[in-house]
Formats: sequence, C-alpha cells, structure tokens
Amino acid sequence: MSTANARAFSAAQDFLLGAKKFWTTQMYPQLREQNQAPTIGTASPVDERVQDNDLYPFYAWMERHLQRMKYAGRYGLVPWHDTQRPALEAALAPVEVPTVPHFAVPDYYPSFDVHQHPGGLMGDSLAGFVYERGARSTTPLDKHFDLHHRFTRQVSAVTSPQRILDVGCGFGKSTRPFAQQFAQAQVTATDLSMPCLKLARHLDAQENITHVRYLQADACATGLKAGGYDLVTSTMLLHELPTTHLAELFVQAHRLLEPGGWTVHLDFLPQVQPGCDDFTDFIHAGHAVRNNEPYMQSLAAFDLRGHLQSLGFTDIGITPFAENDHALDPSYPYWRFPWAVVQARKPM
Amino acid sequence: MPTHTAAEQVFFKDPAMDRLMGVTMALATEVYVLRDRLRALESLLAQQGTVDLQSLNQEVDPEALAPHQADRDAFVAHLLSPLLGKESSLGVQP
Repeated sequence: MSTANARAFSAAQDFLLGAKKFWTTQMYPQLREQNQAPTIGTASPVDERVQDNDLYPFYAWMERHLQRMKYAGRYGLVPWHDTQRPALEAALAPVEVPTVPHFAVPDYYPSFDVHQHPGGLMGDSLAGFVYERGARSTTPLDKHFDLHHRFTRQVSAVTSPQRILDVGCGFGKSTRPFAQQFAQAQVTATDLSMPCLKLARHLDAQENITHVRYLQADACATGLKAGGYDLVTSTMLLHELPTTHLAELFVQAHRLLEPGGWTVHLDFLPQVQPGCDDFTDFIHAGHAVRNNEPYMQSLAAFDLRGHLQSLGFTDIGITPFAENDHALDPSYPYWRFPWAVVQARKPM
Repeated sequence: MPTHTAAEQVFFKDPAMDRLMGVTMALATEVYVLRDRLRALESLLAQQGTVDLQSLNQEVDPEALAPHQADRDAFVAHLLSPLLGKESSLGVQP
C-alpha cells in the first residue's frame, strides 16, 4: 500500500478547484463587464482593449497555471497517480482491447501535451486514470458527467439508434450514457489511446455495462464496415482534430452510416452561442492557447455546414447546447465552454 | 520540476510577475494543505477529548499574547523587510 499523502493531494486539488471557481464566477464576469464592446462608434478590437486592463493578465495566468498545477508539480495528478502505479496497473492488467488492422497513430497526436497533461493521453499506462480524475473537475459549477446524459437525451429526441459508433470515446465518459440511454443498441467505441480504452472497459465492468465493444482506432480511419451504423457520434473530439482530419471524420461518418442514419457531435463553437461577440471569440481563442488545444480555433473557423452539405448530408443542425438549465440565457454571467451540437442525416 | 526547455507562456508586461505568481500560488496551495491537516488534527484531538475546540477558538487574552509579541515582530520583519530594498551585507556599490 502506498504511503503517499492522499489527504494532502486531495486538499491541494480542492484548493485548485476553489481557485478555478473564483476564476469562473468572479474574475471572468468582472473581465467581461470591463470589456463590453461599445455598441456604436469606433470600438477598438478586444485584443487591444485588454492591453490596458489590469485584470486580464491575472485572468489569463490563472487559466493557464491552475491547469498546470492540477496536472503537474508536487500535488499534480500525474505525480500522484505515479505513487499509485502498482495498484492501478494491476487493475488494468486483465483488460484487453483489440486494435483494428492497419492502425497507426496520426503524427499530430503525440506532438503536444493536450490539456497540459504531461505525456498526453498515450504517453503512460496510467494516462487514462489521470484523464478521468482530471475530468471530474473540468468545470467547477457543473458536474461534467451530467452533460453527457443531457446530450444523449437530446439525441434520443432525434433518433432511436440500434447500432451506435462513438468515436474519440476516451475512457468511455460519453459512451456509457449512450449505452444506458439506448440499452438495446449495439455500441462500438473507438479511441487512439489504449490507456483510456482499457480504463473505459474497466469502468464499464464496474457499472455492469456489457454491450459496448471498444476498439483502438483512428476515428478518421476505422476500417469498420460501411453502412454498419445508424448513429455516428462524438463528444469533445472535433476540436481535437486538425482541419484535414476534421473533414475526413465526416467523410467517414457518411461512409459508416446506413441510409437514414444520423451523425451527431457535441463540441465547442463560440459563434452559435447566444450573445456571442468579439469578447466571446477572444476568450475562446485564448483558452485554446492556454489549455494546449491547437485545433480549437480551426474548428471554429471551419465551414461545417458547407462541408456536410457537400457530402450529401441533410437535416443539418448546428445549435448551442445547454449544459445546465440557465447556460443559454444571454445574461448568464459565468465562464462556460461554448457547447454546441452538430447533427446531420444521411439521406434514405 | 518542469521537464521541457520551451519557455512558458507570459501574460504580464513584466515576465517577473508571471514567475512570482507561480511562487505565490505554490505557497498558497501549501497553506491550504496545512490548514486542511490542522483541521483534521484538531477534529481528531477533539474527538479523543484531548483538546476543547471551544476554548481553542476563543479570542486570546492580550496578556496571554504578550510573551509572543517579539516573535510576532520578528515574523513581520522577516516577511516585510525586503520591501525596504536595503542590503543585509555590505556589497560592492555599482
């Protein structure tokens, strides 16, 4: 048994979460108030306005470094899980997840540490555990897991799938709600990260979820059977993809869907949010840089609707998504991700 | 310790502020860890009847504080004397 000080670790992580809550509910609203763009006249661009703002450097610093301290350093998630390594590796030892034929890790994936997670999601056998623990405190106001159930309920209003493919599934945080919402469906879930996939299966077993098939595969090159699914979905995957991969993902979704099937994705698009302005875009762009998310901005600039139309999809919808009951109120004061749902149908 | 050689992002006009913020937040984390530890110890000791939390939380009589004033003053001087910008040893003047 490890002698590491779990109490100190959890107290430090709790402090960081408290600091993130202050950042979310105090610093962001004040910054937004100070940078409200004038509605008339010759307003200067927001990136010029913040140059003289005393609060902005602290806001930006806190966003960058609270995340750094969460993952790295004395009380970080990575060193903490390292102290638990024997037990955690033993838990995953019996878990097997197949890899699809001709699998290759795309070059972009290991070229940076996404989310400031040292080593990224493939660099260590414990990366899935680290990611899962980190995801519990992504946002201090909403239980991040709840939004997945909100998403699957929204999908259920559109379609009742029997064969679901969840790409970029991570440790199954998005997959399990689909498996629970559509209990009779066959569910296949893929990801690049074997540590995450093994944890996904491990967590499924703990929740007695037995009808999910996990595969290590690139969402843009699964090699799975054409027309084999009536729902191809992802959650927080689109913003992780370079533009070429993003475009290919929808090509593959079209190939994998049977006629009449739906592709539905939950991700971040600031431009569809109520009350979106240059400040919203600026904050989102800054978040991308500060959180090691190099493709967030290319997603925001990508012509999703045009691409889906060019592939022959119909019933295209790109709409904001409410992670809580008040999130889409234009006067909602706190920092939030610009959640959005992208959905389209392959014609019959 | 950082394991990469690339420079960290800078948000303040003076990069020294970025680094000082890092030191400050690391210390703040340690303070919170200690507060949590102290709270846990006090709770355990109270459960065992070793300490009376009500007595512990009472305002201290000024007479009881008197023996500790020198320690207080030394603590404050140690903390704040760098603000005066004076040398502690005779250095070579530029």
